[in-house]
Amino acid sequence: MKRKLIASAAIAAAVALTLAGCSGGAGAPTSSDGKTVLSVSVWSMAKTPEFGALINAFEAANPDITVQPVDIAAADYSTKITTVLAGGDSTDVIGMKAIQDFTKLSGEGALLDISDLVTADTSAKVTGLDSYKVDNKYYALPYRWDSWVLFYNKDIFDAAGQPYPTTLTWPQYVDLAKKVTSGDGDSKIWGTFQVTWPTIVQNIAAVQTGKDFLGGDYSFMKDQYNVSLDLQKSGAMMDYSTSTSTKAGYAPLFTTGKAAMVPIGSWMISGIQQAMKDGTGTIKNWGIAPMPQIPGATSVTTMGTPTGFAVNKNAKNVDAAKKFVAFTSSAAGAQALAAVGNSPAYQDAASTATLFSLPGMPTDAESKTALSPDKAVLDTPQAPTTAAIVQIGTDEHQLIMAGQTSLDDGLKEMGDRANSEVLNK
Amino acid sequence: MTASPPTIRHPKITAPQFTTPQLSKERALSARRRARRTALIGWSFILPNFAGFALFTLIPVVACFFIAFTQWDAYNPPVLVGVNNFTRLLGDSNFWISVRNTAYYAFGHIPLTLAIALGLALLLNRALRGIGIFRTALFFPYLTSLVAVAIVFNLLFAPDNGPINQILNSVGIANPPRWTASTEWAMPTVIITSVWRDMGYYMILFLAGLQTIPREYYEAAEVDGANAWQRFRNITLPSLRPTTYFVLILLTISSFKVFDLIQVMTEGGPGRATLVLSQLIYRDGIVQGDYGYASAMSLALFVIVLSFTIVQFKLSERGNK
Repeated sequence: MKRKLIASAAIAAAVALTLAGCSGGAGAPTSSDGKTVLSVSVWSMAKTPEFGALINAFEAANPDITVQPVDIAAADYSTKITTVLAGGDSTDVIGMKAIQDFTKLSGEGALLDISDLVTADTSAKVTGLDSYKVDNKYYALPYRWDSWVLFYNKDIFDAAGQPYPTTLTWPQYVDLAKKVTSGDGDSKIWGTFQVTWPTIVQNIAAVQTGKDFLGGDYSFMKDQYNVSLDLQKSGAMMDYSTSTSTKAGYAPLFTTGKAAMVPIGSWMISGIQQAMKDGTGTIKNWGIAPMPQIPGATSVTTMGTPTGFAVNKNAKNVDAAKKFVAFTSSAAGAQALAAVGNSPAYQDAASTATLFSLPGMPTDAESKTALSPDKAVLDTPQAPTTAAIVQIGTDEHQLIMAGQTSLDDGLKEMGDRANSEVLNK
Repeated sequence: MTASPPTIRHPKITAPQFTTPQLSKERALSARRRARRTALIGWSFILPNFAGFALFTLIPVVACFFIAFTQWDAYNPPVLVGVNNFTRLLGDSNFWISVRNTAYYAFGHIPLTLAIALGLALLLNRALRGIGIFRTALFFPYLTSLVAVAIVFNLLFAPDNGPINQILNSVGIANPPRWTASTEWAMPTVIITSVWRDMGYYMILFLAGLQTIPREYYEAAEVDGANAWQRFRNITLPSLRPTTYFVLILLTISSFKVFDLIQVMTEGGPGRATLVLSQLIYRDGIVQGDYGYASAMSLALFVIVLSFTIVQFKLSERGNK
């Protein structure tokens, strides 16, 4: 009898634990003190200070709501969020880590239409709003927008006696990179460092030339490829194969003064600040210039990527959830984000001032304007064909950059494969 | 592996000579109850393991046979599409390239690992001072995290300033292979890495097999004047047949489902030079959310592995006759 009791107690405990694990984050809608408990899914909270900043600011502005973050490891975030939503999870607010997550979830119908949150103020001031628009309805709002810019190390330029980069054309960028390259072996300073992702060639070319990345004809990428191939051939940039096999990181190379320039998204600002704070970086004076442009361009066009929040279709606290999402892409949310080194999607003078008042930030006017390009376009257009075309682009990018195929053949093959495998042309 | 389980001696029950029908019925009942109790105890022992196996392996495997005939994004209910996924498979160049690459990997990895593991086992199957150190050292790669192995080998094989190419340069090879950066050499590089990692594990299996061969066989052969090769050919190899069969099966299965090493080392590149089936399944299923199509590919992989195993089984059976 006694044994039976213990056994059933053990089973009950196991079942309770399992259920608790499954429903993690759903919780009761109200806490004991009558406050609304809003659950928000976020990733690697300890390493991503923006969540703490947003939640604290939101709770201060809404004393009747308590935010309960559901923390998921960044690397597993996309898979895990798809899985729990498929299981009918009722976490109220869902963080949109990458635009692909949004495409997948909105395509599945897992997100709530929140078009009513888009006011005249948001549409005027929030960059990247349309990234989350499907059939003229908004299913998420961006709180961060990271445009691609050109980071540069002022001390390396001073030592080489070269002027700081301003709005360059791509050929000027190549020339400048060659001029500020110096040293050999351990003392090598690369003129520039480009990530191995195809984005830095394929997507920027599509955005700046206005050509269709999903169209199936990729000859327009030729000039942009010649920029990268020229840079790696001349030794002004670490070559592609070495970058991939050594898994070289752009932030460590830049913050330790090994790369004079790095074209990358504005998210590197917080990486630089972190490196300066914890002492792993040696960089002292740096600046931000606009992304280089194609010759003949009359305004600054760059690509960017949003990070946002959406409301779960199965949310228990829809009103509070909407309040939270609206807050994150408002002036108050922007202040909180800028204070921890992020580029808010909601752009106003106050948040820019806050961002550039942080310790270690450049103080020149050019760096400030570089973060507000004339035109910032979503890096990868989203459609049902996107994932497959991005994969084909990645395959051919590796072959072209590693010299395993000629540029013309690679681009032709990319178009042929896109047409036959994805577009059915 | 060959040790027989200890035999359990049940106390002999001697049936009394005369019993009333009532009593015998009771006895039959209690015997049945005892049998049921024994079965239940047995079940309770395997239940923790079986429950996990059923939940995370058996049910998903069975479900795969159904999902393969549907279109399913894991969020909305699956839609039956008949054999569409399979016809799509036949015309998918990614699928055929990954089948070819998987076969390339398997036919490189299986014989090389088998031969090197056996060679090492023969080398270390003798009484030598400090033999334990050598055996441990060779087993070490298997204990190392695969991700760490992949990253370190990537650095070693780096085409321009990696230590391997620097050594090759210094011995006068002007144009050493560009390893993972080249479409021709990427797969051999992955195979070399995986052989290095796996050889220790299979060596231990062969060592265990070698220990079971009675010394007398060799002594008798020596008396008959057999040389080392003849002893190996006619005693060692045939005696190792069960071990070899076991190793071969394990190697085949692990080679066809290779994923982690390639995912970390090359991500299937450059281009599609090292794209293997498991990776394509992962990409289409987990990453892109096309679970129906990914399940169809899993079934194709299942059929491939199954047919290789059956062939090996038949060959081994014939060899035993």
